[in-house]
Amino acid sequence: MEQKNFVGKIISISDLNVTILLGGVKVRNREILETEHRDQTYRFEVFEAKGSIIFAIPLDSVIGLKRGLDVYTTGKELEMEYSDRLLGRVYDSYGAPIDGLPEETEQKKGVYARSLTMPEINIDGEVLWTGIKVLDFFAPMQKGYKMGLLGGAGVGKTVLIKELINNVYMKSQSNSVFVGVGERSREGKDLYDEMLEAGLLDKMSIVFGQMGENSVARNKAVFSGLTLAEYLRDEKKQDVLLFIDNIYRYVQAVSEINAELKRMPIENGYPATIESDVSMVEERINSTDDGSITSFQAIYIPADDITDEAVQVISSHLDGQIVLDRKVAEKGLYPAIDVFRTQSNMIDIEKIGERHYRLVQEVIRHLARYEELEEIIAVLGVDELSETDYNIFQRSRKLRNYFTQPMFVAENFTGIKGEFVKIEDVLRDVEDILGGVFDEVDEGHFSYIGSIPRE
Amino acid sequence: MEQHIKEMIQKKTEMGFSPDQMQEVGYVSSVQGYILEVSGLTNVMFYEKVIIDGHSEGYVNNIYRNHVMVAVVREGGRIYTDSEVVATGEIFEASYSEESVGHMIDIFGRDRMNGLQFDCLEQLPIENRTTPIMDRTAVNRPLETGIAGIDLIYPIGKGQRQLIIGDKKTGKSQIALDAIVNQRGKDVLCIYVSIGKTKKSMKEIYADLSRRGALDYTIMLAAFNDDQPPVLYLTPYVGLTIAEKYMMQGKDVLVVLDDLSRHADNYREISLLVGKTPGRDAYPPDIFYTHSRMLEKGCQHKCGGSITVLPIVETRGGDITDYISTNIISITDGQIVLSKKSFDQNQKPAINYGLSVSRLGGAVQPEPVKKMGARVRRELLSYLETREVYQLTNMDEMGKELQEKIRRGEEIMSALCQYKYSPLSHDEIIGRFRHLYQEEQP
Repeated sequence: MEQKNFVGKIISISDLNVTILLGGVKVRNREILETEHRDQTYRFEVFEAKGSIIFAIPLDSVIGLKRGLDVYTTGKELEMEYSDRLLGRVYDSYGAPIDGLPEETEQKKGVYARSLTMPEINIDGEVLWTGIKVLDFFAPMQKGYKMGLLGGAGVGKTVLIKELINNVYMKSQSNSVFVGVGERSREGKDLYDEMLEAGLLDKMSIVFGQMGENSVARNKAVFSGLTLAEYLRDEKKQDVLLFIDNIYRYVQAVSEINAELKRMPIENGYPATIESDVSMVEERINSTDDGSITSFQAIYIPADDITDEAVQVISSHLDGQIVLDRKVAEKGLYPAIDVFRTQSNMIDIEKIGERHYRLVQEVIRHLARYEELEEIIAVLGVDELSETDYNIFQRSRKLRNYFTQPMFVAENFTGIKGEFVKIEDVLRDVEDILGGVFDEVDEGHFSYIGSIPRE
Repeated sequence: MEQHIKEMIQKKTEMGFSPDQMQEVGYVSSVQGYILEVSGLTNVMFYEKVIIDGHSEGYVNNIYRNHVMVAVVREGGRIYTDSEVVATGEIFEASYSEESVGHMIDIFGRDRMNGLQFDCLEQLPIENRTTPIMDRTAVNRPLETGIAGIDLIYPIGKGQRQLIIGDKKTGKSQIALDAIVNQRGKDVLCIYVSIGKTKKSMKEIYADLSRRGALDYTIMLAAFNDDQPPVLYLTPYVGLTIAEKYMMQGKDVLVVLDDLSRHADNYREISLLVGKTPGRDAYPPDIFYTHSRMLEKGCQHKCGGSITVLPIVETRGGDITDYISTNIISITDGQIVLSKKSFDQNQKPAINYGLSVSRLGGAVQPEPVKKMGARVRRELLSYLETREVYQLTNMDEMGKELQEKIRRGEEIMSALCQYKYSPLSHDEIIGRFRHLYQEEQP
């Protein structure tokens, strides 16, 4: 039995806030405290101090707690496995394995690490193709990038994250870390089962703080996941893939805690500390000379409002973003990407070459005109278009259909087998559609195919 | 005060009472509707049940340094400042009787039709911990609603959470009721949870289900419009706790939550009253968690039982992108969107096929239905999109391929029309659409 030190007594309780009156001892911020009552152990994390009164956030439910209970300190912060044993395992937000396998730990480390210093950070990296046409074309990646997948509810963020796991992780030799934050438990279990079945679990490590868990659990899952990724980068010196689904839920959880502590919020109830809360996480996701962390982060857009404070704060940390749009999804075009908002720092002649760059600009010009034409057609009909506009209209519809793709993980919806498409094929196909090579082919033939079949 | 209590405990203990039988007494110091501030209860637990003046019941929902807050769930008489509040030493729990099937009940174990309490009651916690991830298995068995537009195109599986969303009077509850009626003889227990419906409409639903023999396997758990707001808040959680009890016995349960927009508004009311910081649209920042932990109870458990949840959300002006709707869409495994426009065009059920989604798709359909469903869905969506663009164009001047597409689209739409309570089996659905695909072969 560990030696436990008495720190004080509980004086008030609400769902996410337990106030403790200290008995003349000092506690550190983020120290884990404990109390026992009705054969249950309740744990809290120190969050704020005012004189000899401290506010702590409970890690689990507070039902059954009373005023006057004695509180002890464990003397530790939240800790996470920090050894080779983390591979192939599934943890909860607080570092406890939940996969039913024996708890074997070698070494643990606190989940709050420092961020990297300037000299440590490495910004070089080779290109990383995902095999998803619309991503590789509009928002290409390189190793070490942070790619955001932004989308409202139910437009396909999770499917896209899973396709990326399928295409990028399965094809690479990298280790990967998946952090489930405030998302569906069912999807979490599905991912675990799929990885297990494909024999890929042994290179992967998973942390779940899903939406059925309380705010604190959803808040801490990110820190725990980052600790695992940092172990692989710093100790194993590897290139790591980090999938976070969904980073918005982290900010949401902070808002919930903030409200319960009655701190003054900013618009829409977000915490005033939102910028630093996000920086604290994002600045840890970086590459060094030893190893890299390439991350894919799903970002939920609440109420389809892309100007939302949290979405904007998170996306300012990204090297690229893929924006999913409900209007596109409504038309049955998946992945439902808004090409005008999707971008990447790689879209630069020096990085992807002139041909790719020029094609991107040309396609965007076509699609922008198409949007205008749609409005004209709604009033006048197709027949009134000039020849140039008619060509733009028809070719744009073909392009739009061409950028849909059968995905490996969506076979259940589409009934079509997934395809990995090479960037060279994409560039050639796009060039030919724009050049009018396929003007005689019906637009229906471009939907849900890989590259265009040629004789 | 504390000294005084200690002495009292001491005395009582000497008299032969154990401290557990001791009752602590406090007094109401302020009344704010159904939220009471109570002083004097120094030793109560978070969520402890308390009795006010012997006639009303509440639970402790906040403990402050010098007082506690109590939410009243049952008001049996007037509550004044200085009313006596007695702590019970028990956590507030729901009462439930195994005999509830076929009845309309409340969370206190009463039959709402006659107001009588059931005999053998058991205590159920308001909420259990969410089923752990590793105890869940894949959702892959169909839950047939009998509606072609759902079973064929956006199917629901046992253990799935599928949202039904739409404006007033577009047939939201009807879809859920159709699904319940169609479970007859399929060994599924149904729980219809009403959150703030009127007594009249509940009576109608009761009569409707009873007439179709659906009450033999259905529990109606009702919190009426004029019940205490904390009861409205707790009722869906209790409904799911009841469902969990049966799921753990290996049973399949279908839970309908009608409706969550009312629940959200009700929770906002309580939160603002107790002084929580408001967030977007004045909902408290934990409104997402309020619904996410509720709906996460829906699952396929490894023990074989399952909970399928059909939450209902009401929208205004057909806008499904408001805060509460998108929150719930981001929790559920798909949504059935109902549109006023289709309803008015007599396209019933008024499903908007463009906006509806099932995240599980074919995984929950038998092979032939899955094949047919994927083709019909693809064709239908492409038709709907084309129709929009070419709505002004003269049909006769279109290309042949386009004309054919529009004709087939119209045919699919009319095959999807279905009157209420006229369920179709999987075979009948396939039968309806088979001819469309036989013509294809030359």
